[in-house]
Amino acid sequence: MAKMTVVELEDAVKRYQSGEETIEALKGVDFAAERGEMVTVIGPSGSGKSTMLNLVGLLDTPTEGTVRVDGRDVTDFTEDELTEERRSGIGFVFQAFHLLPMLTATENVELPSMWDTSRDRRDRAVDLLQRVGLGDRLDHTPNQLSGGQQQRVAIARALINEPKILLADEPTGNLDQDTGRTILDELTRLKEEEGIAIVAVTHDEQLLEYTDRVVHLVDGVIQE
Amino acid sequence: MSVTDLLWRFPSVQMAWRNLGRNRVRTALAALGIIIGVVAISSLGIAGVALQQQATTDLGSLTNEVSISAGPDSTADGVTDDQVEEIRSLAGDAAVVPQKSNATTLSARDGTEAFVRVTAVRQASALYTVSAGDSPDRLESGALLTGGTAERLGIELGDPVEYDGRLYRVRGLVESSTGFGGGSELVVPLSALAEQEHYDTVTVVAADGDEAQAIADRLETRFNEGNDDVLSVTSFASTQESIDSFLNTLNLALLGIGSISLVVASVAILNVMLMSTIERRGEIGVLRAVGIRRGEVLRMILAEAAFLGVVGGVVGAVASLGVGLVIFQALSGDPLLVFGWPSVRYLLLGFGFAVTASVLSGIYPAWKAANDPPVEALRG
Repeated sequence: MAKMTVVELEDAVKRYQSGEETIEALKGVDFAAERGEMVTVIGPSGSGKSTMLNLVGLLDTPTEGTVRVDGRDVTDFTEDELTEERRSGIGFVFQAFHLLPMLTATENVELPSMWDTSRDRRDRAVDLLQRVGLGDRLDHTPNQLSGGQQQRVAIARALINEPKILLADEPTGNLDQDTGRTILDELTRLKEEEGIAIVAVTHDEQLLEYTDRVVHLVDGVIQE
Repeated sequence: MSVTDLLWRFPSVQMAWRNLGRNRVRTALAALGIIIGVVAISSLGIAGVALQQQATTDLGSLTNEVSISAGPDSTADGVTDDQVEEIRSLAGDAAVVPQKSNATTLSARDGTEAFVRVTAVRQASALYTVSAGDSPDRLESGALLTGGTAERLGIELGDPVEYDGRLYRVRGLVESSTGFGGGSELVVPLSALAEQEHYDTVTVVAADGDEAQAIADRLETRFNEGNDDVLSVTSFASTQESIDSFLNTLNLALLGIGSISLVVASVAILNVMLMSTIERRGEIGVLRAVGIRRGEVLRMILAEAAFLGVVGGVVGAVASLGVGLVIFQALSGDPLLVFGWPSVRYLLLGFGFAVTASVLSGIYPAWKAANDPPVEALRG
């Protein structure tokens, strides 16, 4: 598979104003994720991992530096343009799953594309749930599912719009080891079969077994 | 295709429905506020309508009548034949009924006496509605008597009554011509008061209040130039108008009071929506993160508010209809009058207000939720 940069941060700096003092969460970070690779970002809490993931996920914009998606500079995109980018190209998996409690598994998977009336999202949602092994749980609501099942629903949801990159924030953080392993197997399969770039942030040692590359982030600086 | 499938084509509505279902008690209480507001507006409005209709009925036929008598500047002691002719020419199609009046005491065989107004008139049918017997277009012989008086004196149809030394057979029992009820009246042919040269009153009976007012205005212009008051022209249409305008004012005041409760209800909705969007902040952050547009979040929350308004409005309108049935039953004895347009209008008004107030209350929470930066929202 040819190397293809899906998302890229160049000399990204992020500063927060907290009361009187300015906190520099990222101090000039260069980062890139390629198709079909799984990158894990590790570092102590407060090192800027989440901030970095927010920038890569286009949930936030850097104070200085550049963000590129597929080689396009999206740094100065408006919130609405960023929303379109997230919708079409980025999938999210959260530590706390963040499924909507009043929707069934299928409806939760459909959610990101729910307002697109054009595509046949129901079939695709069912297909995705079958692929993550939840074909018999289509109409269950999140509280009827185990943590691992919920996270698999969340992965299916992240895939509904056929993203090029999947961002996982502590994807195994709320799961036991064995369940975590099934989730990681699932992610690996996606990476290999679909060529999706996966960027994960974690404390979990287990995740490192599956990852292609580890990025250490300390005090807002990457230490390879 | 099931209803759920159909709803799924309107994602904002579907999501709103699911969200409202999550906290049913809160949803029900918010809707209850709206219901109370709608009932307040609609039933007060309907009460106003019922009062107005009842007042109109009570004033009865008077509103389309113009009453003419000699004014202080008249040279005659009544309305002359010439003036009656002129009134006829100005009245167009309306019936012009000249009358002479007197008073007398009728006595029954058992000695009971009743003091009655005596009205001499030819076209009795224009002024009197009979409850028994007939009311002739040209009263040449016989007499009409108010029903209550006949009962008190033990007089029945066909019995004779004596006036001015002559006997008149009672051929009809009538309601008193004044809509205000009461009053004893004996109606006799004009010949009974032949010695009186001029008419005491001329009544013009028009098709409706507006025409009556127009005729009254023409008569004023013709007979009473400047400050002269040759003929005194009284139209009850203006009385009706002032009663109407009073009732309209009253109605507006009632509606104002009703609106206050709806304002209170919409503040409650604002509060509920604001609380529920703050509670769901993280969830809305997830929606935004996975690519749901700001406008879509906005529509979803507006749909929730609109749902509350529609449900509250429908239930409120049905409840108001019930209240209206009771009001009309109490005031006019005919509960079905509530289905008339004047009442139904207030039901629609109440419903419209409910939906509008709810959507307006939803705007700020919806806007706030939609514009929350996803990073902040996800942090919770």
